[in-house]
Amino acid sequence: MPTLTPISEKSGIAGLLDAGERHFGLFFDYFSQYAKVRVSYRGDFFISLATSFAATIFALSFVVVLFQKVPQLAGWRFEEVLFLYGFSLIPYGIFNIVSLNLYDFGNNYIIEGKFDRVLLRPISSLFQVLFETFRIESLQEVATGVFCMWWATRHLGLAWTPAKVAMLFFFGLCAGIIYISVFLILSTVSFWFEDRIGVHPPVWNVMAFGRYPLSIYSGMVQFFLCWIIPFGLASFYPSVRMLGRTISPQYAPLVPVVAVVFLTIAISLWNFGTRHYSSTGT
Amino acid sequence: MAAAPVRLIRGPASRAFVQHQRRAPVNARIPNRMSADSLIHVQELSKHFRTFKRREGVWGSIQNLFVRDYRTVAAVDRVGFTIERGEMVGYIGPNGAGKSTTIKMLTGILVPTSGEIRINGYVPYRQRRQYVKTIGVVFGQRTQLWWDIAVIESFKLLRRIYDVSQRDFDARMEHFDAILNIRDYLHTPVRKLSLGERMRCDLAAALLHNPPLLFLDEPTIGLDVVAKDHIRQFLRAINREFRTTVLLTTHDLDDIEELCRRIMIIDHGKVLYDGHLAQLKQQLLRTKQIKFALKDRTQAGCLDAFSRDGLEVDQVDELTYRIRFDRVKVSTSGLIRKILDAVDVRDLLIEDEPIEEIIKRIYAGEAHLEVSV
Ligand SMILES: Nc1ncnc2c1ncn2[C@@H]1O[C@H](COP(=O)(O)OP(=O)(O)OP(=O)(O)O)[C@@H](O)[C@H]1O
Ligand SMILES: [Mg+2]
Repeated sequence: MPTLTPISEKSGIAGLLDAGERHFGLFFDYFSQYAKVRVSYRGDFFISLATSFAATIFALSFVVVLFQKVPQLAGWRFEEVLFLYGFSLIPYGIFNIVSLNLYDFGNNYIIEGKFDRVLLRPISSLFQVLFETFRIESLQEVATGVFCMWWATRHLGLAWTPAKVAMLFFFGLCAGIIYISVFLILSTVSFWFEDRIGVHPPVWNVMAFGRYPLSIYSGMVQFFLCWIIPFGLASFYPSVRMLGRTISPQYAPLVPVVAVVFLTIAISLWNFGTRHYSSTGT
Repeated sequence: MAAAPVRLIRGPASRAFVQHQRRAPVNARIPNRMSADSLIHVQELSKHFRTFKRREGVWGSIQNLFVRDYRTVAAVDRVGFTIERGEMVGYIGPNGAGKSTTIKMLTGILVPTSGEIRINGYVPYRQRRQYVKTIGVVFGQRTQLWWDIAVIESFKLLRRIYDVSQRDFDARMEHFDAILNIRDYLHTPVRKLSLGERMRCDLAAALLHNPPLLFLDEPTIGLDVVAKDHIRQFLRAINREFRTTVLLTTHDLDDIEELCRRIMIIDHGKVLYDGHLAQLKQQLLRTKQIKFALKDRTQAGCLDAFSRDGLEVDQVDELTYRIRFDRVKVSTSGLIRKILDAVDVRDLLIEDEPIEEIIKRIYAGEAHLEVSV
């Protein structure tokens, strides 16, 4: 019960854990809120699921067609590329599930002033923006990705050891964090520049580059995909590791580091940006 | 729908509320308004907005990226005040005066350009998450509820966000329903509610966590008489029963007359008046007005004599005229006699200047006020 004396919040690590636990619980509340809305518009959900699945299959068929013309891609066989492609669908799907609000952040929250409401709630503003809505249809991207990987490993004769499954989860999560962080960083631009279009669309297209072996690109592009917008790094090196290919340098261990660095930058920029939020005139 | 007088129910419902009051020992009351016990401290508070002129068209928007003509607006300009616990303060001013901007700084939405805010021991924008637990906010212009889901779902989510126990939640819901009659539309999505219904829900949502401090930005905007009355009664009731401190902005001066003893008038970002409404009236109610209707238009010329005597004569409509005068300097009966002598009058009315007129003159810079605190 709020009283007139300041509420004593635990500080330091204890406070952080406390806040973490609260937000973790709230995640399910937010999600069930979203689910209720979707359930009440079931027809809409199924149509949207069907179209997004069709889009995934359409994009995937490009790889299949490509390999009917060429036997290999920079030394990579069809199954291997399919594995990589499948793995890259996992962070892509994770990103899509929570990206809906990020993608329209500048318009919806900054220009329309919806961010006012977010700042009035006693929980993290970033949490609210990410989890106020979802695009749960994008689970089909994750599922398709897993299916591609499973199919590829069967034809390559690779076994799924528990260690590999753990690796898949770990790298999938890291890659997801990298994807989300990159778009978060782009979204924070809206705090300073209130332009409606935003910078997301061109970067969104870069995601497709991460689905193919980095070795098919020139050095400049490789550098860009590893260290500037690391979609390539996030999916290529973990796949190489899981496929057991020998390639140097092996950057897989750097993936979690890059994930942490990008997430830290994103959160810092976000917190800094909220101080620049100027709301609207009305 | 007749609005029954509002009384807060004692008993199980009111156990869910704390009295937001800390009794000071009788002799320890500090008369100084800047006492440490004040709930809200604001000092030299300013907010400047930098806006730029947008160019049109494709080429224009490319130019916009690189070259911008900035203009700085001082929306709030070195404002200072303190508000005590349990006060209900009206914050008024013409459009663009800086009311909403002030509220947004006080609620932690905007970071001030300069100056100090201390509320209930918090600096709003710095300790945002803890601070907002202790306030309730209603923006009349925009709902704080989720647009697509039933009101009750919004309330349930807010319960979780504010960590309100189920018991308190149920008690408060019952309580709000008793005063605001919200039960009927709890299961309707917010986007389908009328403005008045939505406002009641917003008010209930803002008080779900029983905050000691309530900010309202135009809470009665666009409401009909009954809805306005409901909301006013509700505010009066929570202020009386729980000592909830209320700061509200409005363009409806009836809100102020019915709710607030103290008003602050702001214009161009500066506080023009801060004091009791009654004092403001006393200070400015030296002005009285006589309205009279002429029998026919031909006599209008005779009124020039009054203007020559230094009295203000305004034409209200075709045959009706109004004379404003300072009752200290001019005797009312003498003036009436003069009018009756000069022209044939069909009707005559003597009145105090309505508060709207006073405020209008303050906005127009005609009335001179000492800022009394
Ligand atoms: N986000 C913003 N960006 C730029 N200028 C702003 C912004 N918000 C407010 N202003 C400007 O600041 C001034 C004060 O605005 P504010 O909204 O505080 O006025 P107000 O007193 O609430 O008026 P109203 O009665 O019309 O609601 C106005 O000149 C407005 O144009
Ligand atoms: Mg306003």
